Amino acid sequence: MADVKSKDESGSEDDDDSSKIVIVLFKSDTCAFCPRAEEVVRDTIRDFSPESFKLRVVNVSENPEVAEEFGIVALPTTMIGGVSITGIPEPEMLMKMIMGAGVSKMRGGKK
Amino acid sequence: MSNYTIERVKTGVPGLDELVEGGFPKGDTILVAGKAGTGKSTLAIQFLYNGAEQYGETGVLVTLEEPPRLIKRNMMNFGMDLAKMEKERKLVIVDLSPSKEVTPVTMGEFPSFDLSGLEAIIMSHVKKLKATRVVIDTLSILAYKFRSRDILREEFFKLTANITKKGVTLLLTSEIPEHHLGLGVFDVEAFLASGVLVLYNEKISDTLRSRSIEVLKLRGSKHSSRIHPMRITDEGVRVFPGEISPGA
Repeated sequence: MADVKSKDESGSEDDDDSSKIVIVLFKSDTCAFCPRAEEVVRDTIRDFSPESFKLRVVNVSENPEVAEEFGIVALPTTMIGGVSITGIPEPEMLMKMIMGAGVSKMRGGKK
Repeated sequence: MSNYTIERVKTGVPGLDELVEGGFPKGDTILVAGKAGTGKSTLAIQFLYNGAEQYGETGVLVTLEEPPRLIKRNMMNFGMDLAKMEKERKLVIVDLSPSKEVTPVTMGEFPSFDLSGLEAIIMSHVKKLKATRVVIDTLSILAYKFRSRDILREEFFKLTANITKKGVTLLLTSEIPEHHLGLGVFDVEAFLASGVLVLYNEKISDTLRSRSIEVLKLRGSKHSSRIHPMRITDEGVRVFPGEISPGA
């Protein structure tokens, strides 16, 4: 996965992120659904062990080039591993994506 | 009779200006609709290329379908060197085509999203380049990318209004599916635009097809109400305003 140049909002101070599952949330200043999507993502992470995750929030209004790089046109979009979901995600769907990314990491996948 | 004249931008397509009172009204949204292979993309990109080359207006090409390398190759065939134009900062090609390697695989969508990402991407390039012409090629691909058509329809209105509000002239291409009676997959395409061009490539005999163009509507303009022949020549699309299409 290409590197996401954005504000890192990981709750952890630990700089060794290689074992962490990276969650990228794309939002914008004008997107009405984005605050709720961010809430759902944060709540879902909290239910797992937060130190296993690195949450990166990309504000597309400020960093349009990141959305362009990943071809993200609809917001909110949550990207975990090589997969994404558009709209306010349901926690079950997020969990499936997190599990998928976790399995992929354990297998040494580079998704 | 009023002396007021609408400011117009030259289309960059030989012969087309004569059908639309000298050019597209500046700051309007123009829809270029047609079935596959009718020349929509060529016409739209020619609007950008000649806009920059002949009229000094910079442009943004947003490609949602065809990868830039193929667009450049195909336009080179008409003597239009888009790569050179990009280097000269007269044009930018925004690659949002599915061929991008880093684009994530979509797991699905919930009907709670907007297209503010697309808008932010386009507007950032418009600002950087001080562009006055934008092409989105093609709107129809979003129908295959997203299921929530009601949201898309509503978002298209916002998107087109926000892009054009400072005087940018926007061309949207729309692919009309085979056997479809409307102007595109969303059925709102005609409402999005203040001008609609329809391109045809109809079979007129077992061995012959004939290209033509129709200005279906152009608000505020006395446009031609006939269907005119159109050809794709070595220099791109050319319209023949003095002739009427044989199939018309």
